[in-house]
Amino acid sequence: MSNVLKIEELNYKKGSKIILEDVNLKLDSGKIIGLLGENSAGKTTLMRIIAGVNSVPEGVITVNGNTKKVLIKENVSLNDHLDGFKATNKISEIVHFYDAVYQDFSITKYEDIANFLGLDMTKKLAALSTGTRGKLVIALTLARSTKLYLLDEPLSGIDSISRKKIISSIIRWKDDDSTIIISDHYVTAIASLLDEVVIIKNQKIRDLIPVEQIQSDYHLGIEAYYEKVYLGEIQ
Amino acid sequence: MEYIENIPIYLQIKDYLEEKIITESYSLGEQMPSVRQLALELAVNSNTVQKALKVMIEEGVIITLRGKGNFVTENAAIVEELKNQIVNETFDSAYDKLHLLKMDNQEITNSFSNYVKQKEKKLE
Repeated sequence: MSNVLKIEELNYKKGSKIILEDVNLKLDSGKIIGLLGENSAGKTTLMRIIAGVNSVPEGVITVNGNTKKVLIKENVSLNDHLDGFKATNKISEIVHFYDAVYQDFSITKYEDIANFLGLDMTKKLAALSTGTRGKLVIALTLARSTKLYLLDEPLSGIDSISRKKIISSIIRWKDDDSTIIISDHYVTAIASLLDEVVIIKNQKIRDLIPVEQIQSDYHLGIEAYYEKVYLGEIQ
Repeated sequence: MEYIENIPIYLQIKDYLEEKIITESYSLGEQMPSVRQLALELAVNSNTVQKALKVMIEEGVIITLRGKGNFVTENAAIVEELKNQIVNETFDSAYDKLHLLKMDNQEITNSFSNYVKQKEKKLE
């Protein structure tokens, strides 16, 4: 299996504050990986660095063999929380924007996903509930054809019915060889999706661990394992 | 389907599919749903379904036909054997527990047949 993502010797600071330290990580393609950590542990920062949104002062990021920021951006689909759009923007306008900006964006794929999720193109952004907005974000993100998808808190604040729909759309539209990194506060909501888990603690990344290893070696669920790691009960 | 958190999901899916085969929701020789369909139905990653199927293929319960998909074996003896295995596994812990209570085989047999009679009464 080839590495879809390789992070080497990454260090990241905001001013004098260390956000991420000594990060090394290699991900195989085809997996769904959970990125877990406390609020402000650096999950969002790490995703933005991988996606080429934030610059990397120290370290090397390789996505699908590419190390240049421009090429990395083309190879990664990071969910945008749509804060850059106006409340009066219609869904159709946002879709056209995506289509214009991303070469790998497929309107047909978007429409398939949007139909499945029940999205109405004529609605304005301001008129969307949190759940519907979450569905729009997932449809836009998955409608790009990339090898790496980064879903930063895609279920945050979303009701359980919409959550299930969003999870189904991830299962349905994930290509076998594409990789998804997903973060969420509520581990349980995404637990059944995950092949492997990465935990960020104290600005550092703990080793990638397969979910099955957590279950068979520690006899724990993901959430319990994660809590024990945070409490220092598992070294 | 609700999963037990601390048991690998592919094993739980394997149990679930085996139960479906034994109860003939999927009958002998029938084509199984695609990996993606099962993944959606079970709300899990395709890799996890793939892994459960791989074990079942190794055990001969499922046969892969290249380009056609996965099929339940046509061999009834394999499914019967699978059922026996589950029956044995189910009784194992009960038998061990009763043995610890120093019950002999005769007592265990009698108590089980009483148990079944009580169950029947409740259903009447």
